[in-house]
Order: sequence, then structure tokens, then C-alpha cells
Amino acid sequence: MLKLKGISKNFKDRPVLRNLNLTIEPGTVYGLLGPNGAGKTTTINIICNLLKPDRGEVLIADQPPNHQTKALIGVAPQQNLLYQTLTCRENLAFFGRLYGLQGKGLHQRIEECLALIDLSDRVNSPAETLSGGMQRRLSMAIALIHQPKLVILDEPTAGLDIEARYQVWEVIRHLQRSGTTILITTHLLDEVERLCDKIGILQQGKLIAEGSLPQLRRLIQAQEIVTIQAQDQQAIIDRGKALGLVSRRYGADLSFWIPELLDLKQILEYFEGIPIDGISRHPVSLEHIYLEVMGYI
Amino acid sequence: MGMIPVAQRILLELVHRRRSLVLWSVFPVFILLLNATILEGRTQLSRAEAYQLATPITIVGAALFFSCLGGSVCTVVAEREQQTIKRLFLSPLGGLSYFLGIFLAHSVIGIGQTLVVFAIALFFGAEFKGSVPLIMLIIALSILAYVGAGFILGTQIAKRTEDVNALIATFGVPLLLLGGSFIPASLFPQSLKDLAIWNPVFHINEVLAGVMNSTPWEEVGHHFTFLVFFSLTMVSGGWLSYRAMLERERNL
Repeated sequence: MLKLKGISKNFKDRPVLRNLNLTIEPGTVYGLLGPNGAGKTTTINIICNLLKPDRGEVLIADQPPNHQTKALIGVAPQQNLLYQTLTCRENLAFFGRLYGLQGKGLHQRIEECLALIDLSDRVNSPAETLSGGMQRRLSMAIALIHQPKLVILDEPTAGLDIEARYQVWEVIRHLQRSGTTILITTHLLDEVERLCDKIGILQQGKLIAEGSLPQLRRLIQAQEIVTIQAQDQQAIIDRGKALGLVSRRYGADLSFWIPELLDLKQILEYFEGIPIDGISRHPVSLEHIYLEVMGYI
Repeated sequence: MGMIPVAQRILLELVHRRRSLVLWSVFPVFILLLNATILEGRTQLSRAEAYQLATPITIVGAALFFSCLGGSVCTVVAEREQQTIKRLFLSPLGGLSYFLGIFLAHSVIGIGQTLVVFAIALFFGAEFKGSVPLIMLIIALSILAYVGAGFILGTQIAKRTEDVNALIATFGVPLLLLGGSFIPASLFPQSLKDLAIWNPVFHINEVLAGVMNSTPWEEVGHHFTFLVFFSLTMVSGGWLSYRAMLERERNL
């Protein structure tokens, strides 16, 4: 559905994207992760033909970006960008008409989109009267009005409360079930973990890791992560070292990569003789992988 | 493809802001009544003649100037300020359709105001003997010029809605005064008359008033030529300004 081949982009002399290669197969939900300034939004701008790359090639459904490919893409930008005095129906009708929809087809599509985002009962409410979560869902519906083949969601749940996030995720899952190809850019790791089939991690314009979650988990040689609280942390570190365990600090937490699944008794035996205040066990998460590949620890 | 939806959207937003709609209707009526009352009181004209004289300057100065120039600046600036224009960049809407959509919407508003002004003038006995197609052409060219100028100001100078007020106050009101929209240019001292020939509003007023009152073409032809030239310049300038804004702001 989408291919980026060797994309590079500089703003003045500052490289923003460096030889970016990325392929999104049809029907996939692809999560593009990265900190602020990693190049996520620049990537979207290039896909949407708003920016030209300095080098490389973009193919959307095997076509280079042009006026026609705009109809293949639906974008829900980071800000909602709605006409605030217009109602939900009027916002959808306006954008639908820009994509050439009209008459019964437009009317039917508006009803479908409003049902999908669960705003059928607010059809005649001006956008300015909707909550933040509802506005975000309306923004997503605008991105979907013309039934695009590729949907791009830029930070879809940024700034939303947990209930609103769940509602947005439900819309994304529905799209996923219907086979829509989706590109999500976010820095919310749990969002990517829950929703995405494939994940790419961008750092300073370079794709430094890519794969499904199970594939990325292989980057960490551990079955689980054990976090230990103890007064004498040096003793714990020394013991871990002697046992050949990899130690990491995730924030203030001292943790060890445990290469095989053990029961609690066996783990406690590892640190026998050292007073331990607490111990917790975690599966290897995207957060651990992300911190590892980004070199933040 | 996108011209009609853009125009519909602007008009729909206006309908939702009912207060603005009422004010756009009331404003030229007030100016017409005041202009005509001043003319009737200070000259030896009859009421009908005063309304006949006040109608073209009210249409050009109060109706079209504020709704088409001020209105299109507001539309473009609001779109930039609220960043909805970025969403339009993502859609297949072309720049020409966007310009024509704004032109169409403000034409509807301007023509609506013009009809209200005409209706009131006719009610007070004013008579207009000029060529209707030519009057319509002059009004269309004036709207085109104002919308073009609105694009230049809205894309290049005004960044926020507050800037629009400052622009209109600083440049708009003196241009209107010097154009003869509030006091007929025939009453100007010679120094202001000499200055007024550089003012587009003066030429638009003169050609519309001339044609509406069947003034011989030899006397108004050069004003018409100026209007055509000015409209083309403003539309070209507006288009170039829009393209320049695209280069600056075409990203998410």
C-alpha cells in the first residue's frame, strides 16, 4: 500500500529524515514511534505530498504522490482542525463534497461515519459544543469520509482522557477489522502495543528498529524483567553480574533481564543473603524495547 | 469541483453566526440612510436625487468593501489561525477552486447587500437609468478586485483576526473617505481631488455612479479601464500571494 524508498529530507542544513525505507502492506496497522523531532510528521507531510523529499521515492498504491493519490489517503492530523460553528453533519458534508461525494452517496457515507464514531446522536451539534474526545472522533470521521485506502492518524489520542482514548482505539480496531491500512504516529507506547501489527522506531530521522512486537521482543534477550527494591543496591548489582544477568535502570528501578521463565522461589534464590524490600516481575514490553533501541539507558 | 462546497461552507458559517448576518445587512442600510440624509440636508437635492447619489457610493464603500475585502481577509485569516487550511491542503481542493469559492460566497453577500441598498433607494424614489448588464459587470469586477486584495492582505499581512481590524482601520477607512464613499468626491478640495485619482475606491465609485446615472461613456470610460486593470492586478496579486502562503504553510 505504501512504500518509502531511501527518503532523505533536510531543513536547511539539518537532516530530518535520513535514508528512510518503510513498507506498509495492505490491511496492516503500522505504528511509527519516535520522540518529538524524530521525523514522524515530516514523514506524513511527504506521504501526503505536502513536502517533497530531497532524495528517495514514495509510492502510494504503486503511484508517486500526486493530485489523484490525495483521494487514496485520509489524514486525521494532530490538532482536530474542524470548522467549529458547523455541525458534525456539515463538517462531514463539506469534506465529503471536496472529495467529489454528493447526493444520496454522501448522505449515506455521513451516516456510516457518524455511526462508526458513535456520534449519530450529535449529528446536528456544532463542533464547538463537542468534548475533546468527540472532536477527535469527528476529525477521524472526516479522514474516513471518502473511504481512503490508507488512513494516517497523527497522535490520535494525544491529550485525551482514558475513556476518550478507549473510544478512539475502538474506532481504530473497527477499521483494522475492516481491512483498512493504517499508519499511526505516536509516542504512546501502550497504544502501539495494543493496536499495531508492525512497529517502526524513528530516531533522528533514521528507522532504527522495525518489526512486529514478537520480532522486536527478540532484541531483548529475556523472558521477563524483574525489578528489585533493596537498600544495598550495589550488592544486588554485583550478584546479578556474578549470575550473568543483564541489569538495567528503568527510571529509578533496578531491573534484571531474566533469560528464562522461573518461578518466584528460584528468582529469590538468586539474591539469597541480600535483604530485599520488594520484587516485581514484568513481561518484556515495548517500553523496554524502545528504551533499549533508543539508547536511553 | 471544490468551488461550490467552499462557498456553501462560508455562507453556512455566516448563517450559524446569525448576529453577523444581521449586521452585514444592517450596516449598508445605515450608511445609505446617513449618506442620503447628509446629501439631502446639505445640498439642494430632492430626497429621490439624494438617494440616487448616495446609492453607488454606499454599495462600493459600505457594502462591497467591507463584505468582500474585509470578509475575504477574515475568511483567509480565520482559516490560517484555526489551521483548518491545513486540512484543505490534504484534500484535492485546488487553489483556484478555493479562490473562486471565496469569491462566490462574498459575491452572494455583496449582491445581497446591493439588492437591499437598491430596494431602499427605490423606495425613496431614486431612479437608475444606466445599463443593467454594465452595472452588474462593474459590481462583479469590484467584488473580484476586493476579494483579490483580501487574499493579498489575508495571506501576506494579517496573521490574526485582530490584525484585520487594524488593517481596515488604518488603510480601509482613509481609502473610503478619499474615495468619496462617505462624502462625495465632488465636494473635495482640489488637493484631495488630485490625491483621489490614485485611489482605486474613487474610480470604482465614479464608474458605478456614472453608469447608474447614464453619464456619457467619455466621462467614465477611463474609470472603467482603471477598474478592469485594478481587478486583474488584484486577482493576480491575490493568486501569487496565495501560492507564496502555500509554500510557507504547506505542512501539518
